Amino acid sequence: MITNRIKPWLTRLYPRAWRARYGAEFEALLEQCLHSPLDVLDVFLGAIDAHLLLLNGDNVNWRIMNMLNKLRTTLLIVFAATIGFIVAGIGLVGLADDSPMVPLMKTNTALSAAWTTIQAGAVVALLAVVIGGLPLALTVIRRALSDGHRGLGLLLVPIFAFLAVILYVAFIFAVARQWIHIPGVFPVVPTTGAFPPGNRLLLAGLMAVFILGAIASTAAVWKVISKPDVEQETFRFLRGTATVRIYSFAFLPAVITASAMLVMLAATVAWGWMAFSALPQVLAGNYGSWGMSTRLWYFTILAVMALSTAAAFFGLARGRAARQPA
Amino acid sequence: MDISGFGRFSDPSLLILASLAGGEKHGYAMMEDIQAMAGVHLGPGTLYGALSRLEQSGLIEALPAKERRRPYRLTAAGAASLRQYLASLENFVSLGLKRLEA
Repeated sequence: MITNRIKPWLTRLYPRAWRARYGAEFEALLEQCLHSPLDVLDVFLGAIDAHLLLLNGDNVNWRIMNMLNKLRTTLLIVFAATIGFIVAGIGLVGLADDSPMVPLMKTNTALSAAWTTIQAGAVVALLAVVIGGLPLALTVIRRALSDGHRGLGLLLVPIFAFLAVILYVAFIFAVARQWIHIPGVFPVVPTTGAFPPGNRLLLAGLMAVFILGAIASTAAVWKVISKPDVEQETFRFLRGTATVRIYSFAFLPAVITASAMLVMLAATVAWGWMAFSALPQVLAGNYGSWGMSTRLWYFTILAVMALSTAAAFFGLARGRAARQPA
Repeated sequence: MDISGFGRFSDPSLLILASLAGGEKHGYAMMEDIQAMAGVHLGPGTLYGALSRLEQSGLIEALPAKERRRPYRLTAAGAASLRQYLASLENFVSLGLKRLEA
């Protein structure tokens, strides 16, 4: 009797491209039928055969699956990078809010233009994510419904994460309105002096809920999107049908998203340079969240934005070669 | 498309096509069916070596996976290829029998 521990290891003898196409079903088969050492030998020979086929450049299907996997990974990297960028963007909004930079933006056209560019970039990036991800999301939902609702629960994770953030914001609002009293938390934060530790903790909780929600949502979407093994899907659209290459379709929106991130990053650099040149006391002050140093907060935001943008372009470069001809 | 070009996977391919001629099946069901139909035990490596070649050649096609099992079915080209192969075998069998009787 062959132990169950060996069975997944046997599948790993096959080339990655082969596993991408046949791995799951082959593992399921091994769980049922691998009984004798002769079967193990047969699997060894099959793996050698698969490697030889790949070396000969045969079996286009596997190669297509390999390309699909690369393309899928590209989209997931861009998606995760977008989430990272959004988190940094929210930090930037927190920095600008209720700071002397708000009245300055009303009078300084260039500063206002930089801020508008950041906002417009965010809208473009999010729209591109929605448009590019729509066929993929519909495919995932359709597959989940036809496969005993597996994966549907994972799709609910981003919704629950969003609800958790909304609930927490409502909680902070209730504290600010003094509907709820928490010892050590002040409804109105003093503009001078040390930031109250209770308020710091309350805001840290919001950031924690947001970041955990973002990580959980990204992981859930990553897991769900890894499931469809189809290249294209046909959708009923108005009175006709439309067949969409779901991964290739999402590539251009992914390029737009990454480009919007680059533009937003440049605009954030320009905005910071102009704002802090005009108001050096803000840069030297503690306008970051939880009373953190403005300088540290701003450069952390820039670093996260730069890393997210770099990750998105790295993903695109990785997936560019994998694109199939239309 | 002719399965005789599949080398050591020709016979397993013929058995798989004959099994799928009875309806769509996933890997394990094919193994059981082939065992019952021809008394041949196909190892998992041989089965998937032949399956991938048949799929690549368009003689069979994969259906959406159910749980982790993926059923396969015969395509029109696969049915034609099987029919042609069995007809040639039939001719060979009848010729052989005639020679034995002569």
